[in-house]
Amino acid sequence: MTIEKAYLLISIFLFLSGVLGVIIRKNLITLLISTELMLNGVNLALVSVDRIVGGIEGQVFALFILAVAASEVAVGLGLIVALFRLRGYEGSSEITHLRD
Amino acid sequence: MEWLIFALLASWAVVSAMGVLFLKNPVHAILSFISLILAVAGMFLHMRAELLAGLQLIIYAVAIVVFYVLVITTIPWEKVKRFEGFYKREFLLGFPVLLVSFILFAYAIMKGSFANLGSQARDNVKEVGKSLFTTYLFPLEVASVILLTAMIGAILLGRKEE
Repeated sequence: MTIEKAYLLISIFLFLSGVLGVIIRKNLITLLISTELMLNGVNLALVSVDRIVGGIEGQVFALFILAVAASEVAVGLGLIVALFRLRGYEGSSEITHLRD
Repeated sequence: MEWLIFALLASWAVVSAMGVLFLKNPVHAILSFISLILAVAGMFLHMRAELLAGLQLIIYAVAIVVFYVLVITTIPWEKVKRFEGFYKREFLLGFPVLLVSFILFAYAIMKGSFANLGSQARDNVKEVGKSLFTTYLFPLEVASVILLTAMIGAILLGRKEE
């Protein structure tokens, strides 16, 4: 058991706790934070596998994941603000209709 | 020494992830998320991915968390207080499934072996930058277009309706 495999275990833990957070949290903002937790786990897995096989590509992909995470946060928080302003929603159990 | 650093960073990350999951107040969850980001940046440094550690600090700890704090201060707080906490029933249903999948993943990692492609890159930042601007030039341009589109979309979504 090398240290990179131990980091892979930590990355799986981060990803699965992000999935659990998306399932169980009530507030919309904490739901988005759980998504970020999943993305962090994927980044960690990419870098540690990169370290094991001795390549450089995983870090490049992790960099693209960082860019996509930033844009996802911008659009998601814009959606939350729009939902709150138009409908007054703030919880994940309230969004059950797509129209009206 | 390696394992000491690993144990420190791993316990820090696990405690912070638990905080993101189970703290009731959204502001406390965000503070716990910053702590997790610092732990992950330390892990990147430990695996000698210096460029990614710096970008993690710049993009996550500065840009993204500031977005969250800004939105939380925009929304009236009494409405947020109504929806803090988590669903108990979904937690009791979802937790065993995720525990079993974690055990399966851990078994696969322990038993599996990885290919060895050869030499480790010495100068990490230089190598990443070189391959970013030669081999992966087109995905880099696509990422810039995605960022521009997200910026315009966020402005359009967040603007006041007349």
